[in-house]
Amino acid sequence: MAVPVIMPRQGQSVESCIITEWYKKKGEEVKIGDVLFAYETDKASFEAIAETEGILLDIFFNAGDEALVLINVAVIGKADEKTDSFKPGNTTSAASENKQEEEFQLKVETKTETAPLFQNTGETKISPRAKKTAEQKGILYRNISGSGPHGRIIEQDILQTAASNPGMTSLAKEMAAGSGMQAIQGTGVGGRALSSDLTQSASLNNSGYEDKKVSNIRKIIAKAMFDSLQNSAQLTHHMGADVRKLLAFRNEVKTAMDKGSKDNITLNDMICFCVIKALKKMPEMNSHFLGDSIRTFSNVHLGLAIDTPRGLMVPSVRNADDLNLKGLSAHIKTLADSCRKGNVDPELLSGKAASFTVSNLGNYGVEVFTPVINLPQVGILGVNTIMHRPADLGNGVFAFVPYIGLSLTYDHRATDGGPATLFLKEIKTQIENWEEKI
Amino acid sequence: MYDLGIIGAGPAGYIAAERAGQKGLKVVLFDKSKLGGVCLNEGCIPTKTMLYAAKLYDHAKESSKYGITIQEVGFDFGKIMERKNKVVNKLVAGIGAAMKKYKVDFVNAKAEIIGRTKEGIEIAADGKTVGCKNLLIATGSEAFIPPIKGLKRDEIYTNREILQIKVLPRSITIIGGGVIGMEFASFFSSMGTLVTVIEMMPEILSGIDEEFSLQLRTEFTKKGVSFHIGSKVTEINGKEVFFEKEGKINSVTSDIILVSVGRKANTEGLGLDKLGVEVEKGAIKIDNQCRTNIQNVYAAGDVKGFSLLAHTASREGEVVVNNLTGRKDIMRYNAIPGIVYTNPELSSVGITEQEAKKKAIPYKVRTLPMAYAGRFIVENEGKSGFCKVLIGEKYDEILGVHMIGNPSSEMIFGAAMAIEMQMRVKDMEEIVFPHPTVSEIFKETMFAFHE
Repeated sequence: MAVPVIMPRQGQSVESCIITEWYKKKGEEVKIGDVLFAYETDKASFEAIAETEGILLDIFFNAGDEALVLINVAVIGKADEKTDSFKPGNTTSAASENKQEEEFQLKVETKTETAPLFQNTGETKISPRAKKTAEQKGILYRNISGSGPHGRIIEQDILQTAASNPGMTSLAKEMAAGSGMQAIQGTGVGGRALSSDLTQSASLNNSGYEDKKVSNIRKIIAKAMFDSLQNSAQLTHHMGADVRKLLAFRNEVKTAMDKGSKDNITLNDMICFCVIKALKKMPEMNSHFLGDSIRTFSNVHLGLAIDTPRGLMVPSVRNADDLNLKGLSAHIKTLADSCRKGNVDPELLSGKAASFTVSNLGNYGVEVFTPVINLPQVGILGVNTIMHRPADLGNGVFAFVPYIGLSLTYDHRATDGGPATLFLKEIKTQIENWEEKI
Repeated sequence: MYDLGIIGAGPAGYIAAERAGQKGLKVVLFDKSKLGGVCLNEGCIPTKTMLYAAKLYDHAKESSKYGITIQEVGFDFGKIMERKNKVVNKLVAGIGAAMKKYKVDFVNAKAEIIGRTKEGIEIAADGKTVGCKNLLIATGSEAFIPPIKGLKRDEIYTNREILQIKVLPRSITIIGGGVIGMEFASFFSSMGTLVTVIEMMPEILSGIDEEFSLQLRTEFTKKGVSFHIGSKVTEINGKEVFFEKEGKINSVTSDIILVSVGRKANTEGLGLDKLGVEVEKGAIKIDNQCRTNIQNVYAAGDVKGFSLLAHTASREGEVVVNNLTGRKDIMRYNAIPGIVYTNPELSSVGITEQEAKKKAIPYKVRTLPMAYAGRFIVENEGKSGFCKVLIGEKYDEILGVHMIGNPSSEMIFGAAMAIEMQMRVKDMEEIVFPHPTVSEIFKETMFAFHE
């Protein structure tokens, strides 16, 4: 009997995923454990494994399509088996959206107005099918206003436009085909796009700027950052901590590594360790501000700002206070790697997953910055570069001492300057009184 | 309050008025002179009428080559000029009728911009002031008279005065071997006048593919025209023109001196300063929709200072009207045909080989004799001509087409379309050309790229 392949659910907050690539073709034989397709959420990518064997009878979503989680994306079964009953249109989970799309399509048919061709609208939502049709017909789809859900351009829009659109000259088509260039306007006869209207989407165009669509992760970062600054009362205190002990420890780590140790405990690991200890001592900062209540956590779930090729990600180390230094170090490393590879568990990326966050820009030589709180957390520690400052070592001896800059942003709605400063001071104390041994 | 006020009733102004009226705009058109502007009254139309007479005369003289015997070939100069006036009057009347049809108000008086009010722009003419929401300045150009020692304005001729002569001069000195100069050289030499052309540049017809300028100069030299290229006129004394050629001063004396060294945009006395319209080197600056720097103020035609051609002007007028009436339209200058209506005609569109080299545009070029088109041999006994096509090196798109030979002026639009549409050689090869026509030379040249 034929069985459907469903879009797996990746975490509670994920509602839909985009299929990035099919590894199996319709009609191809599939064995258990074969990779069927790759898909991605806003933050991470995954591979779907076949859990049954047979023939891949049908595929309902092509590469580039967005599919709701738990929806049927394909059918595996014996040859000649019917697949119609598995079509997402026939299931309840997708019924609503599909119906919506149908309605919109009907509307398009009665629409006689020509879609404005060359308006700049920033982003373009287009179905892969529509995109393909557009490319075949040489239609500049970037500026068509889509009639699908949320302004998404559907094939109908392209066909509609094709009927009234002059398209590109044959020369422009030929040039665009081989080069990945796109027409940004049509200055030719009847609005046809000329070769001079083509622009390299990946490089600067003649006008001295480049329009790039905002990636999903960028959108999420943008929303999170904007919301954070709009919806909280943030301010930052700065303090320096003497890191002679930390640096000495780091040297010990290096020496040990030279002797074969695998534990590469970094300065960042150490700072995080100190932060966790400070949070345990002063749990006020280990909280979420929830409007009418403040939730203080008994364990420390430490968020870490990680720079990845896709953009900023902030995964969290759950129950970080249960880990010893080596354990924390190893954990951070694994987490950072999975973020960079794009296979991190999306649940760990939510602002709610962490109780406090550390963002380290010291490596880049940043001297002072004001990190932005990952709401609903109430604080974030920015770690700066080490600078040498003159210090009184006692007995009239002054020397240049390495200080690490600490920038604590806190939500003044949740706490006040006094406790925040005491917390920052506590981190400083933890750093300056480092006692860990290898 | 008018939707559109137009100053200047030449090919930019009257076409814009006609198109705007057709689209239901309320239009007022001003001109101190007759409808039609320079084109109809002192340019395109009268000169072409005269040139056609000269061409007929040429044909008549050569008719024996075609087996036709004509006992006596002659002409009546007065009648030629009379017919010219008749043609001009007929066409001017035609424009008048079109203006009436499209309810365009024509004010036959000098117009001056008064300024801007809340509603629009105020223009004074004929003792009255009218307001218009939009203004199109299409005041054209006039002959530029260079500061030459001894030059007296009332003793020399420009394109304007020469059209009024009653008697054919025995000799003429043409200062400036540009398009206007060469067309008059063609006319007068055909009519038997002794023609001398003095050109400052190293070749006549600057801007035209040099091979073609040279070809035309060679043919005209055979016809008896004297050329002094690379020669600078230093002085005029009565009917004697002095010029410096290779460091030596020469002189030539003739019945008439025609000055055709260039054109000057008509921007003075218009009140442009009242609105703050930007003027650069005496011409109004516009963008690719013919908009000036001032909102609701447009300029089209010669007054903008480049591509001084009637068909450019008309198209600009149309661009203005289209944009005013909700159709986005852009003025492109890369496929404007340029024709020298000499006998033989010289027609070109797109870039020249010199231009391609100068701009470092990678190109391929082929040149074929006109004789590759059978019809040319049929109708041009003993004549030669050629067609030169430039295409892009990588994609084979047509960049420029140049032809010398009759009737290239009637077929160059096809090449203009090919350039506008960015057609490639293989696209052109799919177009069917009528046979036998001279136009087939264009298609033949396409196939020459395979060699």
